[in-house]
Amino acid sequence: MKTRQNDVVTEYLHEVDQRLAGLPVLQRRELLADLAAHIAAEQAERHLASEGEVIEVLERLGSPEVVAAAAHEEAGTRPQPPARSPLSGRRLWLYVAVAAGVLAVLFLCAGAMFLGRESGSSVGPVETAVAPTPTVQSS
Amino acid sequence: MADVSQLATSLRRGTLEFCVLAMVETEDRYGNEIVRRLGEEPGLAVGEGTIYPLLSRLRRSGWLESKWVESPSGPPRRYYGLTVSGRSALDHFRTEWVSFRQTVDRLVGTGEAA
Repeated sequence: MKTRQNDVVTEYLHEVDQRLAGLPVLQRRELLADLAAHIAAEQAERHLASEGEVIEVLERLGSPEVVAAAAHEEAGTRPQPPARSPLSGRRLWLYVAVAAGVLAVLFLCAGAMFLGRESGSSVGPVETAVAPTPTVQSS
Repeated sequence: MADVSQLATSLRRGTLEFCVLAMVETEDRYGNEIVRRLGEEPGLAVGEGTIYPLLSRLRRSGWLESKWVESPSGPPRRYYGLTVSGRSALDHFRTEWVSFRQTVDRLVGTGEAA
């Protein structure tokens, strides 16, 4: 029970922290410490036993988005999450480019093998050229 | 609906911090007390967690001071108290607020005569 409660709390604090990028590091640490102390005090002073009661405490605190937005507003910084999408978009393009490159190399290799086989033995089947397997097939 | 919450946000901005200062005017209070009290006010409609960044700013601007104190019934508590400049800021707000409120009441027609 205790660990389930702490899981919920840890996850909440992590979600807040993720949205605090751009905030001065000391203010970021201070807010997380304040929130953690708040939750721990509520748990201890009001003898919260169930996970549901802890979730209630978190709901009263507000969603991670709302809390982080307030922190950015007070610090005069801008929330970072929207800035993360163009980065991931760029990363996606990188993956696509790498995948396309790998595919191109594979095609070139396959083509070279196909040509090599054809020039060596004139009756090489197309199948072995596309996917050359060293194992001998028992037909 | 968006306009209604926008209005509440606008009215809160610039006034909520003085509600916080007034809360610790006569005695030091710890975070949970301040936050719970303000969270209970339906007219303010603040998430309790949004008060902590405000407390941080008031401390950094020198209007509040804070200290961690051992608690008999749980983890250490962070107590907040008013500084000398915090007290004069609160006094100044009270003067400004009364005349501001009277002006708005007169213009909007929400005064006692209305």
